Amino acid sequence: MKDSDVIVLDEPRLSVADQFYLPQVLVGLGTTMKHMFKVLSGTDIVIQYPEERREDMPVEQGGMLLRTYRGVHRLNKDEEGRVKCVACFMCSTACPARCIHIEAEESPWQDREKYPAKFDIDELRCIYCGMCEEACPVDAIELTSMYDIVGLTRQEMIFDKEKLLRIFDQTVEDEPM
Amino acid sequence: MPTITVDGKRIECKDRQMILQACLDAASPLPHYCYHPGLSIPASCRICLVEVEGLPKLVPSCQTPVRDGMIVHSTSPKAIANQKQVMEYLLVNHPLDCPVCDQAGECLLQDYSYQYGRSQSRFEEDKHKKPKKDVGLNVLLYNDRCIMCTRCVRFTREVSGTSELYVDGRGSKEEIDIFPGKPLDNKLSGNVVDLCPVGALLDKDFLFKQRVWLLKEAPSISPVDSGGENIWLHYNEGVIYRIKPRYNAQVNTWWISDDTRYSYKAVHDEKRLRGARRMQYGSQIDTSYSKAIEEADAGLRAIAKQNGEGSLYAMLSPMMACEEAYLLGKYIRSIDPQAVLVLGPVPSTGQNETFKHYISGKTTFTIQAEKVPNAAGIRRVIALLGGPTADLAGLADSANSKAGWIVGGYLSNWVTDQLKLPKGFKIIQDILPTTISDRADVLLPAAAWAEKDGCWENFAGKIQPFVAAIAPPEGTRREGDVYYQLLGRGGFYIADEVRAEMGEPFATVKLPDIHAQAPEPEFIEL
Repeated sequence: MKDSDVIVLDEPRLSVADQFYLPQVLVGLGTTMKHMFKVLSGTDIVIQYPEERREDMPVEQGGMLLRTYRGVHRLNKDEEGRVKCVACFMCSTACPARCIHIEAEESPWQDREKYPAKFDIDELRCIYCGMCEEACPVDAIELTSMYDIVGLTRQEMIFDKEKLLRIFDQTVEDEPM
Repeated sequence: MPTITVDGKRIECKDRQMILQACLDAASPLPHYCYHPGLSIPASCRICLVEVEGLPKLVPSCQTPVRDGMIVHSTSPKAIANQKQVMEYLLVNHPLDCPVCDQAGECLLQDYSYQYGRSQSRFEEDKHKKPKKDVGLNVLLYNDRCIMCTRCVRFTREVSGTSELYVDGRGSKEEIDIFPGKPLDNKLSGNVVDLCPVGALLDKDFLFKQRVWLLKEAPSISPVDSGGENIWLHYNEGVIYRIKPRYNAQVNTWWISDDTRYSYKAVHDEKRLRGARRMQYGSQIDTSYSKAIEEADAGLRAIAKQNGEGSLYAMLSPMMACEEAYLLGKYIRSIDPQAVLVLGPVPSTGQNETFKHYISGKTTFTIQAEKVPNAAGIRRVIALLGGPTADLAGLADSANSKAGWIVGGYLSNWVTDQLKLPKGFKIIQDILPTTISDRADVLLPAAAWAEKDGCWENFAGKIQPFVAAIAPPEGTRREGDVYYQLLGRGGFYIADEVRAEMGEPFATVKLPDIHAQAPEPEFIEL
């Protein structure tokens, strides 16, 4: 790299009004008050999550349709309980967020060439667009309507193959393949 | 020079050229499976049939010589009907397992099916399933994907001359096979994988590792011998996955040896040296890279001052790029104008390996005996720099040499019992641990060839550039960057800059324009 390519950036200087901070505090307070009056007058709706949930409310009153919701992924199983995925990388190729990481291997089964030895989805990076589901040639990856997933660390939110197969077991009754 | 018209486009051809080759040269290709410019022409796949005005039937364009004023149609109703038919027949028994096939993405069957085929299959019967076979050390054969173009069979006969593969059976039972107990294990066997237009022959080493459309490519040169075979490094996210041949009519044509093909493994060797080390009270300790460079510089300067001119030496490895050798030579001569430059060990198997056509006996491919890529280039650089030189044996005997800069970079262990180096202060730059790297006074882990730019001169005096594919691993630095710092130049090493400084014949070394030939992909509205 040449020295001429280096651009030195300075912090922007604060004006006199900015240095008092008080005007900005008042602007912020104004926003809070605006929302408070909106809620009191009934134009904004507040629900007590997680006791109240949007899927239990009618759509006209701010509820949501779980049927069309795109939530956390699952990896489907075939009749014999094996992972359906053939590790073709179509989902990770289609993924605009680049959050699917697959490692393929020769499968241990006679009727199949290839299977995913590792299948990780970074649920924090995912934008839940559903392209993976559309790209899959064997209907192995699907988005479920589960949206309340939590984790204490970032590492916990990278779902591996076992976890994605577990989500299939949890959701298959409500949402068959 | 005859001129023909193909689909309304005028094409200049060479005398006695085939229509298909003329079209390929003019970058308006016709579909073809069995035709390969490096092999004989069987005209067996029939997808290249074209209509020639004045001839009653369709003719195979791969086998029909051009005539001046010939008018060829590849998009006439008759030609298109043939293309559709050929595609339909080829796909009758094809398993259509593209999702699990390693060829998907660079498969001619996929491309031509998209361009010339039908979108749906009319075949209702059960597909004929053929077994998967292990045909050799590096190659797997998926017989059900095979379209019987026989490129691989012709290759083993006409290029490697070993004739391991043959066609067994007739009709729908036809398949490629090996003779019992005679696997495909010649030193060019990997080329059949590149030749295969579909996913029938696959590389065991690359099997299921990565989908091909994810790979990026960088033009490079083979590091395993002095032949200077042109290659593509296919990599993704800092990992090299495979090596493919790059066409060069003067050097390797379409082929590379298997040693070249699997040479990338040394780059990802777990034993790679990482992190600079220096000697303190008789044992090596870890240190920061910049500290190590300072230490090396200070050490050399002190010894040169103490012992006078001619006390330093540099061993330039034949694995170094010419530019790096030049920079190191410059640096060491800037401290000690009489420093000795010597070429590192040049391992050799003693005899070139040649491959011959099975009938004519003409030499088709040669694997050089000299197992390093740039011995000739280093000799040229040493001559360019002038001043005192020596050979390795002479260097060890000379009492003058007190401190030296030793560059390794070989892809396997290069320190033999015969190797003798002068005693004293040693700076070693290498990629893999050796018996002398543990005893180095300063150890500077270096970059492998795939991680840096440069140029190499092959045995025939052809200087060819190569380009970095991936970044050097953590704890290592490119040799060029180290020399730039030592010479007090700003910034990072740029191969072009050094080449321009070195003058002829290096200044004009340039990569051939690789993407100029490929036509723009046509946008097809769905």
